[in-house]
Amino acid sequence: MTHSMAQPMIQLLAEGGVTAPSLPLIHATLFVSVVLFSIGMIGFLTRRNMIMMFLCTELMLQAACLAFVAFGRLHMDVSGQVMVIFVLTVAAAEAALALGLVVLLYRKKETLSSEAWSELREDVK
Amino acid sequence: MTPYALYAAGLIGAIGLYLLMRPSDTPGGTQTRILGTLIGLAGVAFMFVEVLSRASAYTLSDGSPLSTAFGGMPVPSVILGMAAIAAATRMVTHQKPVYAALYFILVVVSTAGLFLTLQAEFMAFALIIVYAGAILITYMFVLMLAHQSPSSPDIGSGWGGDVEGGTRYDRVPREPFVAVLIGFGVLASLSHAYFVDNAQLQVKPSDAAVATANADLWHSLETMPRRLKAEVKRVVPDMVGEPIAVDGQLIQVRDGKATVRVMVGDQPRDVTLPDTAQPTNTQEVGLALVSSFPASLELASVILLMAMFGAVVLARKQIEIGEDERRDAAGMRRLSVEDPEMVRDAARGGRS
Repeated sequence: MTHSMAQPMIQLLAEGGVTAPSLPLIHATLFVSVVLFSIGMIGFLTRRNMIMMFLCTELMLQAACLAFVAFGRLHMDVSGQVMVIFVLTVAAAEAALALGLVVLLYRKKETLSSEAWSELREDVK
Repeated sequence: MTPYALYAAGLIGAIGLYLLMRPSDTPGGTQTRILGTLIGLAGVAFMFVEVLSRASAYTLSDGSPLSTAFGGMPVPSVILGMAAIAAATRMVTHQKPVYAALYFILVVVSTAGLFLTLQAEFMAFALIIVYAGAILITYMFVLMLAHQSPSSPDIGSGWGGDVEGGTRYDRVPREPFVAVLIGFGVLASLSHAYFVDNAQLQVKPSDAAVATANADLWHSLETMPRRLKAEVKRVVPDMVGEPIAVDGQLIQVRDGKATVRVMVGDQPRDVTLPDTAQPTNTQEVGLALVSSFPASLELASVILLMAMFGAVVLARKQIEIGEDERRDAAGMRRLSVEDPEMVRDAARGGRS
């Protein structure tokens, strides 16, 4: 018991060197990642604004990044963090292209509502 | 321990989010939103407690409980996680897109804080710089660019003429019940996959695994010869030449301590490196990026290049090339319709 009391309650930064991960820390982070992903998905389904829909996919990407880093910490492997770099790359490319498309669509119909383009779907009989 | 408490807490959170999605300008909307905030907060807090109690209930291989072995609960993670979840909820339910984008920046900052607790310092600051600094600014630009004019038919229709409240499609969510149901399904199945019967997440890495990871980190210093030499020189200023390999390795790791053999005068000597000589997180990430994932790095650059081309092509103003412009380019006379005499000439099929 004295051993556990000697450890600091709040330890934000490690002193260096590889240490074993704390399982409650990993679980808490994974839980946040799960909730962020679900909220992002709900947002993608409910928002009608095209820009907001893309922003919600960015939220889901954030959740995935968090899970990558948490699992990397669990296995004491830096590859998880390298994956986040690639996710950032894809997110930046996606933002540039998707926003360019949104601006084009906005010029055509003067609205950001995704339902303005619902005629693109197949006829429902 | 049954996982039903976890799902029940998730359901409470989902109900809270559903109530939060009611537009505030419907009758009783504000009260519904306040109620939704409280219920959602309770649900998320309940889930947090459930996850953490499950995590600390796992025991080590020698039977001692984890919570005493790891010095208590991850307090910073819980605070940052709650901030991230609250900001994400506000982002999804906010009626003005610009504010929603600002709340997303709050999510990014909280996530960066969580990265810090996971010892990913480089990624934490890269996330803030790239996401909050670059990507979100692009979003803000487009939101401002596509701002709805007050005369737009989208404004003010629906409930009341509250122009300040934003456009109708931002105020009224689409199919909130179905969406929350699907979101709850995702939440429950992901929670099940992570927190129920997941052997990988219940076993703390062994001391041997930690020692191996530590030794790997020390050995990665061998790929940075200049830094290695500088670190050795800091301990032994009068070293001669380069570090000498023993059994094909420049660095020997024993009991977490790294030693390097160097020549001092004409005698070989084993020098123990200080802990500060270990590669930092940034060096680790950089090394892994170029040594383990070189092909992915090249592909990422191709993706960025293609995105740049695509953005330029999309943003370019489309110029209609009509018959007149084509005739100009070919050095021919225009078939202008502005001159009535020429139209008559053209109709007669005459030359002029």
